[in-house]
Amino acid sequence: MGLFLVVFQTSVLDLFFVGRIGVELSLVLVIYAGFRMNVLHGALLSFLLGFFLDCMMGSISGLFTLLYVCIFFISVLVSMRVYAEQMSLIMIFTFLCAIFEGLMIVLFYRVMYDISMFGNIIRVFLPQALVVSVLSPLFFRLFNFFEVLFRDGNPQSAKRS
Amino acid sequence: MMFPKKYWTIAIAALLILMALIMISYNVKQTSETGFMRKLVLETAWPLESVKNRSIKAIKENWNRYLFLIGLVEENQRLKKKNDLLASQLVQYQEGYWEALRLQKMLKIKGPLNATPVVAEVIDREQSSVFKSILIDKGTAHGLKVGFPVLNDQGIVGRITECSWHVSRVMLIVDENSNVAALLQGSRTHGVLQGAGAAGCRLKYIPKKEEVKIGDAVISSGLGGVFPKGTILGVVASVDKKEGGLFQRIDVQPSVDFGKLEEILVLVLQKDHNR
Repeated sequence: MGLFLVVFQTSVLDLFFVGRIGVELSLVLVIYAGFRMNVLHGALLSFLLGFFLDCMMGSISGLFTLLYVCIFFISVLVSMRVYAEQMSLIMIFTFLCAIFEGLMIVLFYRVMYDISMFGNIIRVFLPQALVVSVLSPLFFRLFNFFEVLFRDGNPQSAKRS
Repeated sequence: MMFPKKYWTIAIAALLILMALIMISYNVKQTSETGFMRKLVLETAWPLESVKNRSIKAIKENWNRYLFLIGLVEENQRLKKKNDLLASQLVQYQEGYWEALRLQKMLKIKGPLNATPVVAEVIDREQSSVFKSILIDKGTAHGLKVGFPVLNDQGIVGRITECSWHVSRVMLIVDENSNVAALLQGSRTHGVLQGAGAAGCRLKYIPKKEEVKIGDAVISSGLGGVFPKGTILGVVASVDKKEGGLFQRIDVQPSVDFGKLEEILVLVLQKDHNR
């Protein structure tokens, strides 16, 4: 399912944004996992999503894997300290995570390959972060729906171990 | 359990981050070969990609074909206009191409050594029953003078009879007033080719004793110094020896199709000819 999501997000959503803005559904799912799933499942899901994204986007293996695992655990920490059901919090947090991800990618390529991608922060990552943060509450509901559907149980947050 | 339950989160986090870092460090060094897991993911994703792309393509096609029809009328009108414009341009280019071919043929005409060819365009035709002439778009400003010979790739057209600055009149060889020194190519018998209006031309002063056959070529003899020697004038269309007198009546079909004249070549002779 994770792979399907990654395949889906890399191109289907391009239809609606004419290939200009990539809507990173997998990032929202990682945050959702950090907020609502148990740590083990969420961490594995984040790890796999990151790895799939690495494979599908052609980036160096481990880059998105590391970023998604980090974002997942940051989400877990945030959800322990604040009420993570608020729409505004979800939006702001998603926005910050998307920016963090973009910055890390830029820094990684700068440090490892000496490639300057700083211009992309304003041109690409910022609009993407805005779009994905605006859409994140909707995707949270969607993920919740699917979680309930697959588990056939209580749609409320799963208890963390 | 190795760790107390409360440290699980930290342990999982540390383990996964470590794995990700190992992956990065391994792949930063080994950039040439794709890893097995990566290949596996790509192979698994390939059918999904394929199905997805086909579906997207179908959706896009149907959307564009049946639903997204905004501006279709305007686009259709715009394309029609563009099509009309392109069609007219195509006709122009075709015309240019044919013109170039005709000019190319004409430039191959060899005139006398002391003549300079000037290409002119036919701008009008005077085709009464007796007078057969054309107007061309070159005149004295281009070095043309009365008497200069006019040819095209098919043969001799006529000669200039009037010259303005930028326009000249060419009397065709079929004009009743036209006389060209000619000879029969086969027998080398000299005569005079006179215009006969709609009937074409008539070759005069060929004695009855000369054997002339239908289809014999009539060429310019070069006498008089106007037309270059050996240029085709026409072919014998009919021969009649029954008429009284010393000479036979020979009708000649001109080699030039005067009805289709578009460009002609004027031979500007360096020596002045006042005929």
